[in-house]
Amino acid sequence: MGGRSVLSRLYGDPIEVWVRDGRPAQFVWRDRLYAIRQVQDHWVVAREWWKTSDTDPGERRFWRVEAGMGPGVGTYELRFDTASRGWLLLRAWD
Amino acid sequence: MASFVHLHVASAYSLRYGTAFPPALVARAAAHGMDTLALTDRDGLYGVIKHIQACHAEGLAPIAGVDLVLRAHDHHTARGRRAGVHGEAGETRGDGSAGDGERRVVVLARADGWGPLCRLVTAAHHAGERGEPYVTREMLAEHARGPSGEPRLVVLLGPRSDVGRAAAGQRDEEARALLAAWRAAVPDVVVEVTDHYGYRDANVAARMLGLADWAGLPAVLTNAARHLDPADHQVGNVLDAARRLAPLHARHLEQSSQAYLKSGEEMAGVAERVCGGDRSRMARLLAETRRVAERCALDPVEIVPLLSDPPGALHLPEIGGDPVPMLRSRCEEGLRRRGMERSKEARERLAAELDIIERKRLSGYFVAVAGITDMIRGMGVRCAIRGSGAGSLVNYLAGIGEVNPIEHGLLMERFLSEGRRGLPDIDVDVESARRLDCYRAILGRYGEAQVACVSMMETYRARSAIRDVGSAMGLPPHEVDAIAKAFPHIRAKQIRAALADLPELRDSGLNDRSLETVFRLAEKLDGLPRHIALHPCGVLVGNAALRDRTPVERSMLDFPMSQFDKDDVEEAGLLKLDVLGVRMQSAMAHALDEIERVDGVRIELDAVPRDDTDTYDMICSGRTIGCFQIESPGQRELVAKLEPRTMHDLIVDISLFRPGPVNSDMVTPYLEARHGFRRPSYAHEELHGPLRETHGVVVFHEQVLKVIDVMTGCGLSEAEKARRALDTPAGREAVHDWFVPLAGERGFDPATVEKAWKVLDAFGAFGFCKAHAAAFALPTYQSAWLKRHHTAAFLAGVLTHEPGMYPSRVILDEARRCGVGILALDVNRSGRHWRVEKAAGETAGPPPEEPYGETPEGGEATGESLTLRVRPGDLGPRRQDVDLGGGADSGVDGGPDGETGGFGRGYALRVPFSAVRGVSEAEVDRMVAGQPYTSVADFWDRARPSRPVAERIVEVGGLDAMYGLRPGGPRWRPGRLTRRDLIAQVGALDRSSAAGVAAKGDTAAVQLPMAFAERVTPGELPEMTEAEAVEAELAVLGMDVSRHVIGFHDELLDAIGVVRARDLLRQRNGAEILVAGVKVATQTPAVRSGQRVIFLTLDDSTGPIDLTFFESVQAHTAATVFGSWLLVARGVVRRTGARAVSLRALNCWNLVDLDELWRAPPPRGGIDAVRALLDETPESGGGVGGRPIEYGNGYRLSPYSDIGPAPGVRDAAAFLAHPAEPQRRLWHASSGSSGPTRTRGR
Repeated sequence: MGGRSVLSRLYGDPIEVWVRDGRPAQFVWRDRLYAIRQVQDHWVVAREWWKTSDTDPGERRFWRVEAGMGPGVGTYELRFDTASRGWLLLRAWD
Repeated sequence: MASFVHLHVASAYSLRYGTAFPPALVARAAAHGMDTLALTDRDGLYGVIKHIQACHAEGLAPIAGVDLVLRAHDHHTARGRRAGVHGEAGETRGDGSAGDGERRVVVLARADGWGPLCRLVTAAHHAGERGEPYVTREMLAEHARGPSGEPRLVVLLGPRSDVGRAAAGQRDEEARALLAAWRAAVPDVVVEVTDHYGYRDANVAARMLGLADWAGLPAVLTNAARHLDPADHQVGNVLDAARRLAPLHARHLEQSSQAYLKSGEEMAGVAERVCGGDRSRMARLLAETRRVAERCALDPVEIVPLLSDPPGALHLPEIGGDPVPMLRSRCEEGLRRRGMERSKEARERLAAELDIIERKRLSGYFVAVAGITDMIRGMGVRCAIRGSGAGSLVNYLAGIGEVNPIEHGLLMERFLSEGRRGLPDIDVDVESARRLDCYRAILGRYGEAQVACVSMMETYRARSAIRDVGSAMGLPPHEVDAIAKAFPHIRAKQIRAALADLPELRDSGLNDRSLETVFRLAEKLDGLPRHIALHPCGVLVGNAALRDRTPVERSMLDFPMSQFDKDDVEEAGLLKLDVLGVRMQSAMAHALDEIERVDGVRIELDAVPRDDTDTYDMICSGRTIGCFQIESPGQRELVAKLEPRTMHDLIVDISLFRPGPVNSDMVTPYLEARHGFRRPSYAHEELHGPLRETHGVVVFHEQVLKVIDVMTGCGLSEAEKARRALDTPAGREAVHDWFVPLAGERGFDPATVEKAWKVLDAFGAFGFCKAHAAAFALPTYQSAWLKRHHTAAFLAGVLTHEPGMYPSRVILDEARRCGVGILALDVNRSGRHWRVEKAAGETAGPPPEEPYGETPEGGEATGESLTLRVRPGDLGPRRQDVDLGGGADSGVDGGPDGETGGFGRGYALRVPFSAVRGVSEAEVDRMVAGQPYTSVADFWDRARPSRPVAERIVEVGGLDAMYGLRPGGPRWRPGRLTRRDLIAQVGALDRSSAAGVAAKGDTAAVQLPMAFAERVTPGELPEMTEAEAVEAELAVLGMDVSRHVIGFHDELLDAIGVVRARDLLRQRNGAEILVAGVKVATQTPAVRSGQRVIFLTLDDSTGPIDLTFFESVQAHTAATVFGSWLLVARGVVRRTGARAVSLRALNCWNLVDLDELWRAPPPRGGIDAVRALLDETPESGGGVGGRPIEYGNGYRLSPYSDIGPAPGVRDAAAFLAHPAEPQRRLWHASSGSSGPTRTRGR
């Protein structure tokens, strides 16, 4: 798809994300700023709430985005956890 | 821009799928500023009427549709049949879910498409297995267009459709071909795109948009909503698991956290995603959605005529002529037939009633009902009008009912009046055993296309919710069952409150953190529809267009059943007739047949004089177990106090015995005035007229109407409106503000008005419709008369048709007390149902052919382990002077006098084949047809019972008479045949049949050689002891036939000084005594104090003992009361009437535990240990919690009292209590009663 490298690397690093109009606009990963050029995909997965004692463990929102730092462009998968309000960079094709 | 419209919405009426009720969805849509809303429930239109009503109320345009399983044309055979049908009432259904691959389409009615939509749903149910409807493209093609080809339905092809599945699978060619086929088949087909933010959802949507554009078809956006709010998806997950009978696991669940009723803005966001940001495509998508909505908006009044006043078109049956003159001439003829031609009163009243009926255009309804009741009576079925319809003279004259309203002072306004909204409801009682025959006859007369039964939704309550959640959470089934049954029949949302409030649950293993999640989730299912069932009496009689007005599916018994409940049916303008099966009518019919068979007399029950002294004597002494309406412990107490002597007294008694009157203390003033302890008081002398018949106390609705009318002069029709308003505090206030000035204007002084108002305020809402009570009183009297004069025949009817609250073993005890003999099952004498046999001679002696005639010999073989937990040794020291051995007299020993006992002497009851657990109807047929039998092999060969059934028959003595067997006595009897030998022989017969030794087909009655294939030596196996025999009877028949179980404990009971029921009347008031017995019933009725009071009835073979457990003692007693079968209790004697005694309980024990302690060796056990235990002061624990429900007039009741309808007491044929206890229902447990809580071993 779209010439993207088939191989991705898994990370799971906490990152900082700026959101504009309900979607991520840019993020900082490993001290570098990435501007998001396009959202390729977005999906939501509800948590397996019955395995926890929380009444509402929330959901996880996934974003697969095309983002770049300077001229180089890569694809990244970000995840937002509504319960912890935290962002992770899950994987990258770069 | 016009608002967004949700076209695909599932409500809670999508069974085990949706979570929100139609009014909540409509209110949310209105809050979002939407002007139209669709309801497209799965598999049916169950919620549509409520949806349309809610839309009408909120000013939204309603759209109706359905979400149906789609199958390929050649796929008619059921696939993926689900394993097992679950659910308590049997009428269960699921969605035939075949997992994620299931294909579904949504179908909407266009503005003129309601009829075709109904017919399509009917066809879908007709095509599928029951509960698994489906459609094919061909079926849709057939229904989607009108007579001239114009479109009537819109088909939405969404992501779950065949097209959507192909698109998701990237099979573009297939998707295009399917789309082309749809376009050719259905004139109005659109592509539905949805995005729940699942992985690849948006991709599939984009692909489908492309397909729509390729095909030139409109595309619409929906949210396939199934929730109101995002958080509801947890409930959705539980429902997914319950529906699929699978544990909660991501694999089985639908991603549904986004499937809620989103706002227009949120949907715009979805549109943007789906269109990949293409603004013009987005606009087109939303505009097309809007256009579909506009062509599907329905006119609410057309579908729900009762939304307008006067109502829109009603849908009455075709009766072949103008109904107005037909009804008039029928009533004229009735006047002649009833000898009322010359009565001015009757003529005036008839004219007034006809005037209202004709103005409401209901003549055809009465003509049709009269035709149906004529037909039912013509079939020889007992048929009586019940309820408010008895108050109408038209019903009397047209021959629908036999109650003359003028004679009884009944009013038509309770039934039909100018100001009463809705359709009148005529209720007819028929023999329960013939009810379905009546339905078939109605179907036969009007044709299947014009008749349908009414349905009802069973909803989740505590027990069912715990069952489904427990299974979803993966708990073992037996544990789920035990947990569910520990709770009384309360609402699901009360579960955790009950755990905290009720001592029997609080101290059980259920208060365990591991179950917290189960209970939390179960509470969330509260009130959701669970399955659809046939309403017990409603029958719709419509016209040829009925199937255009209501969708029809098949009920469990294969009757056509409307998907609408009784309220919806009325709202939809459909005529309903209630044909209720009354078991007592069948019981009495059985009794009359038995009297004729045995005594050769045919009794005309309706002609029996209504003033029989013996009958009223029996009622006054509280000997009413088995009688219609007056057999409960509370009623036995009330009749003993009220001492009815006339039919009118019975009418009052029945009206008084209701929670309202009991709690508002109408009973005491009435009794005091009746017995002359107090002068009747009337607010004003003008109220003498309406209230004299009940000594100044308001008992009947009719009196409320008359009081209002006298005080205000408003007329009875207005008075009926006011009476209805008295049900709620707000209504009472409004009536007060209207009543007081009006009464003042009429010249009543303020004190009188205030006094009259107080009467209305206190009792108005609780009165009983006298017409109802009058209809009940007659069978009450008739059943009592039969019991008094034809005891055995009557009880045979009661045992056969089970009309009352008590299980068979209690009726059997009553039979014993009446002197009726009980005869064991006998393959040569038993019948299909309970039969009466005449005892030889008219003396009180035991019947000649008594199976267990002698007092058993002393005990032996102690140490035998028995599940009844009684050792044979018990039999040894038993008192010899009490003839417990007799089947006939065990209850009435000790000098029965005519008053308290033996009016049933001279007759006996024979246990029937149908009482044997697990026996099939076909087996019973063969057993009866093959009589007489000469040997066990003969019986095996010709009656062809299954092996377990044959074994059970031997176990309970069915072959004793043939072989001269008798349990008890020496266990080892070499050379003499025993029951166990015969059981072994059944096994041998079964093995040889299986081996093909048995002669096939030909059933010549010969001693087959197979009987000797494995020779059983007589006496090889030990005989059963008496205790084992009784245990087998309880397990197989659900009753102790050969002797009363309490007899096994006599020695212990005597040792601790237990008082027997027959001696209770000799106890002084206030004495503290011990009693014991078998549990007959537990009830937690609503009482005035707002406490949960437990009423326990025990039976000790000499009579019933009634105990009351107040909250102060429940902490240490409730678990024992609900969890035990044999009990010892300590209580304080309370005399409640001349012949009535009840006990205020202080403590109670499980008799089985006491027995075990008694038998244990000292120092732990022995009689002193038992006495010490009985003398212990109970620890005072917490009481019962829960805030009482409070009514406007200060009437409070416990949230755990029996408020709701009684649970299906006889549905629970198998009471699966303690594993160690008998497996049949042995006592009556009311809806507020908890179950045993000790099974959970955590």
